[in-house]
Amino acid sequence: MDTPQYNTDIVRSFILWSVIWGLVAVLVGVIVSVQMTNPELNFPPYFTFGRLRPIHTNAGIYGWAVGVIFATFYYIVQRLCKIRIWSDKLATFQLWFFNATIIAAAVSLLLGYTTSKEYHELEWPVDIMVVVLWVAFSINIIMTIIKRKEEQMYISLWYMMAAIIGVAILYLVNAAAIPVSLFKSYSLYAGTNDANVQWWFGHNAVAMVLTAPPLAMFYYFLPKSTGVPIYSHKISIISFWSLIFMYLWTGAHHLLWTPVPDWIQTLAMAFSLMLIAPSWGSVINGYLSMKGQWHQMRDNYLVKFLIIGITFYGLQTLQGPMQAIRSFSAFIHYTDWVPAHIHMGTMGWVSMIAFASIYFLVPRIYNKELYSVPLANLHFWLILTGQLIWSISLWIAGVLQAGMWNAINPDGSLTYTFMETMVEMYPYWWARTIGGVIFLTGVLVFIYNLVKTIRSGEKLAPSAVTAEGRA
Amino acid sequence: MMDLGSLLYLGVTFGLFAIFAWIVIKTYSRKNRDKNEVAKYRMLNDD
Repeated sequence: MDTPQYNTDIVRSFILWSVIWGLVAVLVGVIVSVQMTNPELNFPPYFTFGRLRPIHTNAGIYGWAVGVIFATFYYIVQRLCKIRIWSDKLATFQLWFFNATIIAAAVSLLLGYTTSKEYHELEWPVDIMVVVLWVAFSINIIMTIIKRKEEQMYISLWYMMAAIIGVAILYLVNAAAIPVSLFKSYSLYAGTNDANVQWWFGHNAVAMVLTAPPLAMFYYFLPKSTGVPIYSHKISIISFWSLIFMYLWTGAHHLLWTPVPDWIQTLAMAFSLMLIAPSWGSVINGYLSMKGQWHQMRDNYLVKFLIIGITFYGLQTLQGPMQAIRSFSAFIHYTDWVPAHIHMGTMGWVSMIAFASIYFLVPRIYNKELYSVPLANLHFWLILTGQLIWSISLWIAGVLQAGMWNAINPDGSLTYTFMETMVEMYPYWWARTIGGVIFLTGVLVFIYNLVKTIRSGEKLAPSAVTAEGRA
Repeated sequence: MMDLGSLLYLGVTFGLFAIFAWIVIKTYSRKNRDKNEVAKYRMLNDD
């Protein structure tokens, strides 16, 4: 069979831009963490915590994570379907529209235009840009899959399709709003319905952006990195369908102890607990795929990123359901425990897999050896250390905070004022900033290694020639 | 007495469960058992 001529230019471009937006996300993250310990570093109206924090989250989710999703999906879909992407022009349009959308998002958030919905802050004109962007991406990926030359679909393709369809549904439903001016709209839903739809979106954005796509990458890049297939394709299929079956019911666990109907809260709690099974199906499948290959954790830096990444996914998907239990939620909700949980997912799980994917791709699409494996190892240890300091310090802070909020005197009055609880947080917030700075250093090492690889890396040996004929 | 909405809700839930059960049975059926593992080997040689 003739070797298809894959489009690697689009993969290369999306990697470049995703890394740029990833750097912005981490940098702004460090800045907002310093603003927590040093409120005098808030400079109104533009450079305040309230405006910069959504820029941090939007750059992280929609710039970094989604950028890597675009890059890896375009790489993976061509190979698993053994066909070039359906439309090069559409992909190029998508690349530049992606950057235009991220810039529009950053500028509008900086100017204070926001729907105030967490992870869906963008006002309606930027929302429309997001929809156009996603439709262009979806058409290209789905048409490539339809025209594939491989009969059976590998598990990564299933996760990719779920992400594409899931994001489209979630975004469109939650974006339903009535514009009242060019930069102001009001949600189509009211009261608890609005909250319920928002967290159905919010939690499933985690599912369809921060879970399904990294799993697609993990299932593709782990066997590619170890050279041995995954343990069981059947387990991956069952895990996939059970994940899809369960995830969409869980959003209301963000609304426990609120006026949302009690049965919806119970349903969300139950499905959150059931979700442990499919999540751990993937984790165990990953571990069993390492049977006889565990030495690669020492020898192969890619495997190190991937296996520690899936381990954090396992921890995340145990901690998450625990937090969805009413009694536990009553204790930790609204405390600093919650951002610690989220950052274990984003810094530990999603970013580990994204870094591994980029390390896998760059040498192949540039036809260069990685500039420095020791630097990649340094990068690994820096981001691991940074993330652990970040999360552990805020888990402790969260428990302390909850304990102080709940402390009651014999006469029923609160033991501590809110300000007293805030003051106790300072050492932990400093620890968070230190963790963030270490993580940022790791990202800078990563970027340096990539730049040196692209500019001066050794040419790959001829035996490493792959389908595109040059990498 | 259950109203129409409750019945519809239960129907959708059991319908989804039936689809999921069908997927499990199909995936692990004797006919498809080996076929379902082919993709994991083929993907290793997709470059």
